[in-house]
Amino acid sequence: MGSLMASMWIAAQALDVNQGALDATSNNIANANTPGYSREVVDLSEQTPVVFGNITYGTGVTLQQIQSIRDQVLTLQIAQQTSQQSNSQTQLNALQQVQAMFSDPTQGIGANLSAFFSSISQLSTNPTDGAQRQAVITAAQNLASSFNQTSQNLTSIQQNLNQSVSSTVNQINGLTQQIAQINAQVGQMQQLGQDPGSLMDQENQLINQLSQLTNINEIQTEHGLTLTTGNGAALVVGNQSFALQTQTNSSTGMEDVVSQGQDITSSIQGGSLGGTIQVRDQDIPGILNQLNTLASQFATSFNAAQAKGFDADGKAGQALFSVTSGPGAAASFSLATTDPNAIAASSDGTPGSNGNIVNLMAVQTSPLPSGQTPTDSYASMVSQSGNLAAQAQAENTASTTNVNQLTNQLGSISGVSINEETTNLLNYQNAFSAAARVVTTVDHLTADVLNMGSGVTAVS
Amino acid sequence: MRVNPNFTPNILTELYLSQSQEQTALEQISTGRLINMPSDNPAGAATLVENLSEQNQTDQFLQNTSGVEGLLQTADSTLSSLVESLNQAISLGVQGAGKTVSLEDQQQIAQQVQGIQTQVLQLANTSYQGNYIFAGTATTTVPFVVNSSAPDGVTYNGNNNTNTVEIAAGRSIQTNLPGSQIFQGSGGDVMGSLQQLVTALQSGNTANIGAATNQVSAALNYVSQQRVFYGNAVDQLTSNQSFLQQEQVNLQSQENTVDGVNMAQAATNLSQAQVTQNATLAALAKIIPVTLLNYLQ
Repeated sequence: MGSLMASMWIAAQALDVNQGALDATSNNIANANTPGYSREVVDLSEQTPVVFGNITYGTGVTLQQIQSIRDQVLTLQIAQQTSQQSNSQTQLNALQQVQAMFSDPTQGIGANLSAFFSSISQLSTNPTDGAQRQAVITAAQNLASSFNQTSQNLTSIQQNLNQSVSSTVNQINGLTQQIAQINAQVGQMQQLGQDPGSLMDQENQLINQLSQLTNINEIQTEHGLTLTTGNGAALVVGNQSFALQTQTNSSTGMEDVVSQGQDITSSIQGGSLGGTIQVRDQDIPGILNQLNTLASQFATSFNAAQAKGFDADGKAGQALFSVTSGPGAAASFSLATTDPNAIAASSDGTPGSNGNIVNLMAVQTSPLPSGQTPTDSYASMVSQSGNLAAQAQAENTASTTNVNQLTNQLGSISGVSINEETTNLLNYQNAFSAAARVVTTVDHLTADVLNMGSGVTAVS
Repeated sequence: MRVNPNFTPNILTELYLSQSQEQTALEQISTGRLINMPSDNPAGAATLVENLSEQNQTDQFLQNTSGVEGLLQTADSTLSSLVESLNQAISLGVQGAGKTVSLEDQQQIAQQVQGIQTQVLQLANTSYQGNYIFAGTATTTVPFVVNSSAPDGVTYNGNNNTNTVEIAAGRSIQTNLPGSQIFQGSGGDVMGSLQQLVTALQSGNTANIGAATNQVSAALNYVSQQRVFYGNAVDQLTSNQSFLQQEQVNLQSQENTVDGVNMAQAATNLSQAQVTQNATLAALAKIIPVTLLNYLQ
């Protein structure tokens, strides 16, 4: 059997529920532009009906929960792609600096090699000309300084990357600490069956930031979230975070990344940390290695050609270049002598002979032990620097497109639409007004009932 | 179907894209180069390094060509003077061998031939840019020195070596003949025959004068043959010059193929990027403020 009090209850509840729905709508609108915010929807349902006789009476509406709409799979994919995006971006930034050194074909080692051999060729037309001999020495000095400069620039880019390894590791540690704290709160709420809504949003944002720094694996366990690095070193387990450390490698002088005593440097692949380590430990050493090989093989070949002839004083040709073999070759590349007479142009000991110049010039056109001529091996360094940068650029473009697509997808699920919220706002507003009107009506009816028979009519 | 309500990041991406296309086109137009960074075309960048090295080499070959041209021309004109001197000596020899000539006259002629000997010695010691050109490779040593005890009156202090200069990739040219070959050759000894002529004239032996004159003639022939070497070399340099100039054009056109900007194309790209950007901006300006709220007021 229906009653006025029941109607009043239903209306009062409807006021509450619509008030709650308005709250949720208002919160959605407020956070429409908050990064990482997932829209909330109210979950309304009917109250359990009551049955009197053969009539079933509805008992109004109830607000089951306010739920955040999210998609964990998409969120995970976005984190992964973000990791790749920031990885390739970091590589690209560093490789742009590297390739800038090789960008102008009229400068640098290639141009100086060519100028050096031109000066020797010019000397063949007048081997006794002191000015021409001096020109050879000057060209050799330019060549030496371009070897030194290129090596120095590459090393300093490498050093800068090395410094950013340490600072990135610090950022990672800061983020994992925050995530562990939130993780603890989320775990508690989930155990109580509550929706951790905004906390999850915050956590996802932090995980996204963390993915920009390094690639991570995300595992949901009963104790909450577990985060590890790509190769499985723990970062966050439940409410506990594990800090990464850096440690100077005694042989390379570079900072290694250490997780609980274990060197995990080479297994870090994603994120800006992975990109930094890739360029620092692979790309730059690769180019430096080619540079050093070129420097030492070129110096050795040229010195050998010198030894086949005689200098302007009739003495057997001495080494023109001095170079240490191995990793420091390009940095140590220098002139063994700056005496213009030391150029061994002569093949018979007379200063007027240019017979050995053919041997000196042959260094330009003959393959070094590496299998390439000096110019060709420089050219392959140029193309390698370009290839690396182009590859990073392509990866960056691809992962940026992916991130955009996934973000769009996630946005279509979790994003706040002002149109939708406005529609909801109108609906809840109408429902709220209507429920309020029901309260007024029931109130009047109640007064009518109370005054029934007293001769007093309720004033409406 | 729900769509992503927040479309600004997409539009911004489009804007960045058209902006970067605009910058690329601008850079190409302002530098005139397609490869401004090795990553623009890694293989092309390597080709440019090699191309530039070849261009420098070709420039240097051209310089070498003009550098040795002076040397070879000096040698050629020196030998031309030598031929004149020898012709004079021959006519003096013929005069001295005449039947009506007195011994006194012959001795006077001998003095004239000695004058020619001095001239020839000067020619043999010709230098170019401070280097003796007939000393073999011993270009800092005076090649011929008077030596009265030697059979031909001079000693050769040079050597028998020659120099070559590279004038094109894999092509070299010999730039000198040793003085001993020109002035004391087995096919005709300039120094020796002149000395013989002087001796014969001084002694007044007509038969010997005739024989010595013949020797001088033989030397003249021989020198003329040697002169062909220098003439040929100068010709070779001239044809080499036009070959190298053609090579320069080829290399420049190769460089242009790899690195040259097609200006019309770049300008079209630039205006296309600008149109895209303007359109995107216009669209953005239209869309952003519009929601249901605009219609509820």
